Amino acid sequence: MTIEANELGIPEDALRRLSEMRPGQKTSLFTSDLSVNEFLLVREAGFRPLGLVLGSSIYHVGFQMGRWSKNQELDTLSQAMYHARELAMTRMEAEADVLGADGIVGVRLDIEFKEFGSDIAEFIAIGTAVKADEAHATTPEGTTWRNNQNKPFTSDLSGQDFWTLLQAGYAPLGMVMGSCVYHIAHQRFWQAAGNSWQNVEIPQYTEALYDARELAMSRMQAEAEALEAEGIAGVQMLGLAHRWGGHTTEFFAIGTAIRPLRADHTIATPQLVLPLTDS
Amino acid sequence: MGAATPTRDRTSGAGGEQMSDWDGQGLPPAAAARMQRFAQDHIATSLLDVRGEVSIGGVGLPPVGEVMGCIVESIGWQGYGGCGAYYGGYGGGYGGGYGGPMQTVTSGAAASYAGYKPYVDALYRGYDTAISRMLAEATTMGADGVVGVSLTSAELGSNNREFVALGTAVRATGSVHAVRPFVTDLGGADVAKLLHAGYVPVSLAYGISVGVRHDDYNTRMQASSWGWNTEISGYTMLVEHVRSDARHQFARRAAAAGAEGAIVSGVTLQVGEIEPAENHRDHIAEATVRGTTLVRFTATAAPRTKALTILPLRRV
Repeated sequence: MTIEANELGIPEDALRRLSEMRPGQKTSLFTSDLSVNEFLLVREAGFRPLGLVLGSSIYHVGFQMGRWSKNQELDTLSQAMYHARELAMTRMEAEADVLGADGIVGVRLDIEFKEFGSDIAEFIAIGTAVKADEAHATTPEGTTWRNNQNKPFTSDLSGQDFWTLLQAGYAPLGMVMGSCVYHIAHQRFWQAAGNSWQNVEIPQYTEALYDARELAMSRMQAEAEALEAEGIAGVQMLGLAHRWGGHTTEFFAIGTAIRPLRADHTIATPQLVLPLTDS
Repeated sequence: MGAATPTRDRTSGAGGEQMSDWDGQGLPPAAAARMQRFAQDHIATSLLDVRGEVSIGGVGLPPVGEVMGCIVESIGWQGYGGCGAYYGGYGGGYGGGYGGPMQTVTSGAAASYAGYKPYVDALYRGYDTAISRMLAEATTMGADGVVGVSLTSAELGSNNREFVALGTAVRATGSVHAVRPFVTDLGGADVAKLLHAGYVPVSLAYGISVGVRHDDYNTRMQASSWGWNTEISGYTMLVEHVRSDARHQFARRAAAAGAEGAIVSGVTLQVGEIEPAENHRDHIAEATVRGTTLVRFTATAAPRTKALTILPLRRV
């Protein structure tokens, strides 16, 4: 399996190519936000990167007070977290559209609260726009790689996961998400005092966490249904405290909605290896 | 190299030629002395880890030595640091100003004194000089490339900044050599993988932009809104413009190097407040984009990199 590099013309051909270069000559340039491993795997999956794309929104998150002893969703905050992320994503998709992309891979969705001003955060979506090679400009079924809303597909999966997903006969449709900011009730004094010597479940906390996660996940599912997805891969269920203190948390569900490209979904049996590294 | 032949006594530890005698051309005396030592004893040093060293050696580009370039700059003049509305109306030539909607003015704008251009030019000059001095060392060693380059800058007291480029020079074992060494911030293993797939690194590119935007009435209202959700469109425009200018600068520099592609290693953004007048704040943003530019080559034989699906027997 191992081939000597110089038999392939490495590095001689590479160095010859460098010597031929004339600075300033006109080339079409792509940029990519992927790591080298991801970049090479995306190429091997039959997609070429077009450019790094990003969208951003600086957003003032409103204020909403939860009632001290009540479990409740803080819908003003839920809406803010969702709306700002959507603005960033939409702007990223618009950039990819301009490049004529089929999709965006390796999307990262970050929130950074800013030191200036109160409750001001930047929501940023960043990824790499890709286009399928001519050899398979359409999916095996003859459909476009874009999703049913004629937008480039988006995926927060790594280049490695993207490659594996395609090998297994699935294609990403879009990132789907659901958010729920929830205020978990404080215990009343007599409750806390009554429980202080016992190991017991605190039903109202359990219920709050169930409710909040369920709301976030069902919103994510609704998005996947709108994309006519078969399923959602790589779902993360995050509990983000942000800056609202211990009893107010954002429950955020995010994943990549996928559709099947063919009936069988097997990949080549992996070879087992024992890497000689710790990491 | 342009520097005079150093007459350094290897046992004394002090350079024969003083830094004050250096004319600023070619390598500084200390570096020239190190190059001369290298020419005599040929000890190959490397900053790569074992994995990187083995991988890069495996594609016929073994390390020959570590190379460094640095410069300390005094950045005394950052550009007109006043209110963003002023440039918007006049300096930037955007036609925004007090009457119309406010515009962001970036260092990449047409007017030479627009938003912090002298400061950004000083940063470019610092990084460019550090890299070209590092390349001068690499060329002296007969290197074909410099891999795993770290490009950093640090404050040295007020207004002074040091820029350092540090990497490992590699040289082909065969008879074909590059006219100018390539430079990359990717490590040995990544470079080896790229070469196998038919890509060779060209240069380390960076785009830097600083922009300022006047906090207009709308922006102030949106930022101080208390109970409701709203995008602060002024700030969003500021960061979008500055990032987009940095990306544009990055692409421009990558294209100028003749590259066909670039692997971005980092996008950073900082936003800060300035107070050009009493009770009046504007916001400035600084963005950088950095990465390695690439060009395709056709190897004599087709590269046979085919991903092998493996299941590592360890926890990930």
